[in-house]
Amino acid sequence: MESLLEQSSLILQQLVNGITLGGVYALIAVGYTMVYGVIQLINFAHGEIYMLGAFLTFTMVTTLHLPFFVAILLTIMLCACFGIILDFVAYRPLRKAPRLAALITAIGMSLFLQNLALLIWGSQIKSYPREVLPAIFSKAAFSLGDVFISWIQVFILSVTVIAMFMLHIIIHKTKVGTAMRAVSQDKTTAALMGIAVNRVISFTFAIGSAMGAMAGIMVGLYYNAIFPHMGYMAGVKAFAAAVLGGIGSVPGAMLGGGVLGIAEVLGAGYLSSEYRDGISYAVMILVILFKPAGLIGKPLTEKV
Amino acid sequence: MQKIQNFIKSPKAKAVLICLVLVLPWLPLGGSTNYVLRILTTVVLYMCLALGLNIVPGFNGLLDLGYVGFYGIGAYTAGLLSIHYNMPFWVVVPLAAMNGALWGILLGTPTLRLTGDYFAIVTFGFSELVVLVIRNELWLTRGPMGLPGISPPSIFGHTFMYDWEYFYLALFMLMIVIVVVSRLQDSRIGRAWFAIREDDIAAQCSGVNLIKYKVTAFAISAAIGGMGGAFYAKWFRFIHPDMFKFWESILILCLVVLGGLGSITGTMLGALVLIPLSEILRMVLPQSMFNARYMIYGLVLVMMMRWRPDGLIPFVRDQENKALKIKNRILNTKAFQPAADKE
Amino acid sequence: MKRIFCLMLALTMIAGIAWAETITIPVASPYTGQLASFGEGVKNGALLKAEEINAAGGINGKQLEISLEDELCDPKEAATVATKIANNPKIGIVVGHLCSSATLAALPIYRDAKLPAITPASTNVSIGKMSPYYFRDVYRDDFQGLFLAQYAHQIKGYKKVAVFYEVNDYSMGLMLAFMKEAKKLGIKILGTEAYTSDTSDFKPQLTKFKMMKPDAIFIPGYAPQGTLIVSQAVGLGLKTEFFGADGLDDDLMTKNPDAEGLFVTTPFLPDKAGPEAESFIKAYNKKHGKDPNWFAANTYDAVGIAAQAIEHVGLDREKIRNYLASIDSKEKAYVGVTGKTYFDENGDCLKSAFIKVIKDGKWVGAEKQLR
Repeated sequence: MESLLEQSSLILQQLVNGITLGGVYALIAVGYTMVYGVIQLINFAHGEIYMLGAFLTFTMVTTLHLPFFVAILLTIMLCACFGIILDFVAYRPLRKAPRLAALITAIGMSLFLQNLALLIWGSQIKSYPREVLPAIFSKAAFSLGDVFISWIQVFILSVTVIAMFMLHIIIHKTKVGTAMRAVSQDKTTAALMGIAVNRVISFTFAIGSAMGAMAGIMVGLYYNAIFPHMGYMAGVKAFAAAVLGGIGSVPGAMLGGGVLGIAEVLGAGYLSSEYRDGISYAVMILVILFKPAGLIGKPLTEKV
Repeated sequence: MQKIQNFIKSPKAKAVLICLVLVLPWLPLGGSTNYVLRILTTVVLYMCLALGLNIVPGFNGLLDLGYVGFYGIGAYTAGLLSIHYNMPFWVVVPLAAMNGALWGILLGTPTLRLTGDYFAIVTFGFSELVVLVIRNELWLTRGPMGLPGISPPSIFGHTFMYDWEYFYLALFMLMIVIVVVSRLQDSRIGRAWFAIREDDIAAQCSGVNLIKYKVTAFAISAAIGGMGGAFYAKWFRFIHPDMFKFWESILILCLVVLGGLGSITGTMLGALVLIPLSEILRMVLPQSMFNARYMIYGLVLVMMMRWRPDGLIPFVRDQENKALKIKNRILNTKAFQPAADKE
Repeated sequence: MKRIFCLMLALTMIAGIAWAETITIPVASPYTGQLASFGEGVKNGALLKAEEINAAGGINGKQLEISLEDELCDPKEAATVATKIANNPKIGIVVGHLCSSATLAALPIYRDAKLPAITPASTNVSIGKMSPYYFRDVYRDDFQGLFLAQYAHQIKGYKKVAVFYEVNDYSMGLMLAFMKEAKKLGIKILGTEAYTSDTSDFKPQLTKFKMMKPDAIFIPGYAPQGTLIVSQAVGLGLKTEFFGADGLDDDLMTKNPDAEGLFVTTPFLPDKAGPEAESFIKAYNKKHGKDPNWFAANTYDAVGIAAQAIEHVGLDREKIRNYLASIDSKEKAYVGVTGKTYFDENGDCLKSAFIKVIKDGKWVGAEKQLR
């Protein structure tokens, strides 16, 4: 009887771990999925924006001694601007080029940003000193029996849910959102209807990057480990989540993130911790091969 | 640029280059000869690898981000076969290439139906899975303990010891790769590839069996990767999963893109520029900046795509020349002679 | 292409001229990259020894120069660096490398060039057997694992232990040695879980450990991950003790308040070292404002051994190797700050290990050492 209780609290704890992880993946995945939806580009550099988000907040808090929430807001705004710049500098000139060219550019940007961070901040793992964090983050929020949930986990989940909800409203209830949907369906027609396509694309990059930065900030707080290569693994996994949910679909990204986070944690907990990262790759490959539209995406047809 | 291109294409330049390369190990470069030779052997190895990768994005227009997977498969095939079965180099290398090709076919058959970006991401996932398996299947690969004690190659009972021997061996391998790739480029298969690259739907409508040709391309590319890996294992005599990280794929892609996607001379030039560059940067830059040298590779990728998407030695001219040559050849064949009789 | 050659040629020549007046000992280790904080100890130790040798008149009147060769703990980089070193005829002996995978990649190159090498830190078991030219003044993984198991059993009295290892050669070698000895001693291994260095989420594995209720968790990994593991375990309400090997011996751990009470093995302990070490610790403290770690101490001795060899037999590689191989008994041992160093027929050395523990945010020698 006791072991049954233990078993269930173990599973519950793993689910909590998995959902937190999934929330982070979902936030990053949104950036991939929105950009892909609008310009059909896998923005490899998105993981790097997530990394920049973590580093910028860290620097503002520890070096510039800004108050915590000011730093977070500033970072999100900076990263949103950065997303726009990224599009403007790297991707906009290639709108009419073959897709291979844009993809290679994206990889190049990712490489560039990652190593730039390496140059600026060094390769050692950075951690927030305990004094600078709001006290609430180092405390456990509550425990149900043996299941521990920290305030940061609560924070991550609520931010994810609120962000997703706001995103949904932006996309479906506002003018910009309507324009975004129009551009994602057909750029030329959208332009003919009087939509400033490039401005809409910039807006998409800004929103996606802001979400990525938010994820980066929260991961920096959650694990208290910030390093230049953090965007690589997280980016890949978030991309897998976006594909799993159906690329181009925002609710899909959220679902995909959740499913992948739980799958990864349960896989590490019950199957093999050695192959933990392989689970995301395998899920991604299988989904692309057998259900390329993802769990709730619309099937893509190539226009001739 | 045009002048340089013409010079590179002239037979005189080729003769000079070949002579230079052949006498290179005997040039008096002081105590550092072996160091220079080792770097040049690396250059030649990467030329082979880049030529192999070039087949997929260069000839077929498909982005392959998992090339290092085949390289790793080749290296471990060679390493394991020579450790456990003591097989000679000349047996190990073809087997490694075949194993690479086998995996190329296994991966390519289901995935080459996918569109560009999805294909790229699947190949990426594959190569990461390969490295994970190498890292975790201790019974087979010794995982992170690495695979030390691989025997050096030997020929007619003579075991390779010196750096110049490896250099010539690498050159020999490069010759084979060049011959294979350039013959393929001119063949029926090659023309089908270029048709796919330009427009796969049009190619399909013209009766090109997309899957067949794409899988062939992928398998040949993987085989060359496997061969390169086998050479690498025999040369280093120690292999480790860390040697086959994703960045290797990117580096090789960078060589191809810099030189010119699809261009054989260009790809080789890319390797000749970027690989020694890394060594020069090591000497010139302070170490902390040297670690960030991939920043430069990233910039190379971005700027090339922005301003010179065709690379240093663009491929188009080559192809036009070839097309002209092929046309002349066809016109000279019997079928086009006025007196040819038709059955 | 020609221009590149010329440039390389010029650079190597310049380098050659600069070295002509001195004796150079290259010290290869990661000085940048993720493991840079280990490399820092190596660098400080090597430079301090060279300074002292030079202040005492150098080696046979010639000044000793340390050239720091950075290889990032990457086997490929290590092989390139090793070729560079091995092909410089003015070099008679090399000190390095730090990571075992880097050492194993460099080993065939040194062996072919008949260049003797001393590693101050690579503990992988197979190194000594693979080359007659490789020596080390550090113990091997199997000894360290065995030592930890005995300490855990005899002093700590652990009955159930879980192992949380990183997927790399160092960590896995330690794990295997520890588990072998633990089985003999009757310590129950509740489970083993793995992690990789590019992750920072250890909660799924730790949650699993929590169920097992171990007396302690053994972390045979490096400090950057070790500190995260300890913190996340505390966050999950996992009440247990932690211990590790010399990879956790870093100031990163002491900065983490959750790591209080964690103990590790170390080849060198400032407060337990002999009289020879006193002046070294003092000088190091004066220069860097902290006690030397074991990387610094071992490198200090490795450079000392190398310098002594050059002093006796000159820069001839074969002679240096034979000289090192002749240090094969306690009587002939090199007496340094880490005690007596002498080599067995594989070039491995027998050395004692110590236990140190984090107390009030500082490393201190454990009260009870294993005798």
